[in-house]
Amino acid sequence: MIIPVLTLIIMLIVGAVVLGFIAVSAMFLIWWERKVSAHIQTRYGPMRVGWHGALQSVADVIKLLLKENITPSGVDRLSWWLAPFFAVVPVVMVFVCIPFGNIFGIELIARDLNIGILYIMALTSICVLGIFMAGWGSNNKYSLLGGMRSAAQIVSYEIPLVLAMVTAVMFAGSLSMQKIVEAQKGLWFVFQPNMAIAFAIFIIAGTAEVNRTPFDIPEAESELVAGFHTEYSGMKFAMFFLGEYTNMFVISALAATLFLGGWSGPFLPPVIWFLIKTYGLVTFMMWIRWTLPRVRVDQLMGFAWKVLTPVSFANLIVAGWILMK
Amino acid sequence: MNGLIQTLSDILNNYGLRQEFAIRACFYSLAVLACIFGLGVVTLRNIFHCAISLAMTLFCIAGIYLFLNAEFLAAVQVLIYVGAIVTLFLFAIMLTAKIGDRSIRQTNKQVLASLAVSAAILSLFVSIIIGSPWKKAAADDTLRLGIGELGKALMSVYALPFEAISLILLAALVGAIVIGKAGK
Repeated sequence: MIIPVLTLIIMLIVGAVVLGFIAVSAMFLIWWERKVSAHIQTRYGPMRVGWHGALQSVADVIKLLLKENITPSGVDRLSWWLAPFFAVVPVVMVFVCIPFGNIFGIELIARDLNIGILYIMALTSICVLGIFMAGWGSNNKYSLLGGMRSAAQIVSYEIPLVLAMVTAVMFAGSLSMQKIVEAQKGLWFVFQPNMAIAFAIFIIAGTAEVNRTPFDIPEAESELVAGFHTEYSGMKFAMFFLGEYTNMFVISALAATLFLGGWSGPFLPPVIWFLIKTYGLVTFMMWIRWTLPRVRVDQLMGFAWKVLTPVSFANLIVAGWILMK
Repeated sequence: MNGLIQTLSDILNNYGLRQEFAIRACFYSLAVLACIFGLGVVTLRNIFHCAISLAMTLFCIAGIYLFLNAEFLAAVQVLIYVGAIVTLFLFAIMLTAKIGDRSIRQTNKQVLASLAVSAAILSLFVSIIIGSPWKKAAADDTLRLGIGELGKALMSVYALPFEAISLILLAALVGAIVIGKAGK
């Protein structure tokens, strides 16, 4: 069997479109975060570059591209160079099976894998390797502490996160992302009491998973300078930034798909619905970040193990009972 | 002009990459990479690099599973081995090792004995592989095992091994807590 040149070209174009979307989305989110935070604090935020500072992120990207790439002399070269890629590549790979809905009858999903949600879980679980490499490879106390905290946090919060996902999978009866969306055609999962709890757990654990306030102790700037990416500059720093904001998009897209009905909705085209839900959740996460203070390390770990994990287990058991009834 | 368009569409639709070749190329390059990284695990002198190398080996093996139509196994391999076990290794290394630390030696006086043991295990594997009657795998997806069937098999035919493994894991968990408490 031959894969025609046409198919190969289409594959390349799809890849380029996805990468372009990721870059533009991250730039938009950085600008949006600055605007949201500014308005919460009754400021204006960026105003000078473009309409209400809309081109500020473009200017920042150009600046970061032109900056010198400094490699401190004491670093462990291999980990130092690999870390930014490990922070970005898994997040980009997740986009293979995120269902964006359809437009003119074309399904906007790169590949509807039959293990969809498991594939996403596997990839999000390896992002922590990049943080480890950056933290250890930088040869810096603050980076090391940030890396350690981050690893402990991500590993702990992954359990409730995955258990909340499993609850949705049980109700949908499939691991495929499209089938999960189709299972919510009648009623979004979030409107069932049991799933509402799972949704709350998912949002809390997801916020912790992407290291955002109130769970941003890995990069707590008042304690650790900037955590694991203290020593990075220029484009490598930008890669971490890209990874962080794309991760936020991915977690919100997953929450929208698993609990809020994905791309389904009345009147508007599916793509628009998907983007509204996803960016709505992203905005919610930003709102939380600029409203709540940071929690302490011990509080953070205690909350994960003593509250979130037992609650999500109990929730899972109740979900099983409802399904078996 | 029409002829040109005709030729172009002909090229676009009829020429391209042979699928078998692409699959073989990916499969063998993954296998070679897995071996190289595997060697890295046992020869590199920096223990952190060894752990990264181990993670890469496990990735390559997950990729090979993908080409063998075992997507579920590939995802679980990455989730558990890379996402959990290598993470745990790295965590332990970060707690104990620093960059400035003396690099470790990967060999000691028992190198010959271990070589003999490894050779014995290798010959055992090779003899099993050569001796077993390999069925020619069907070219289509008949071998592809659905997740549903896998789950049902785990809960019915293989329920006892499944429960035994969970018991062992529980014992390990309790044991770890007891040992951790003993120091206080």
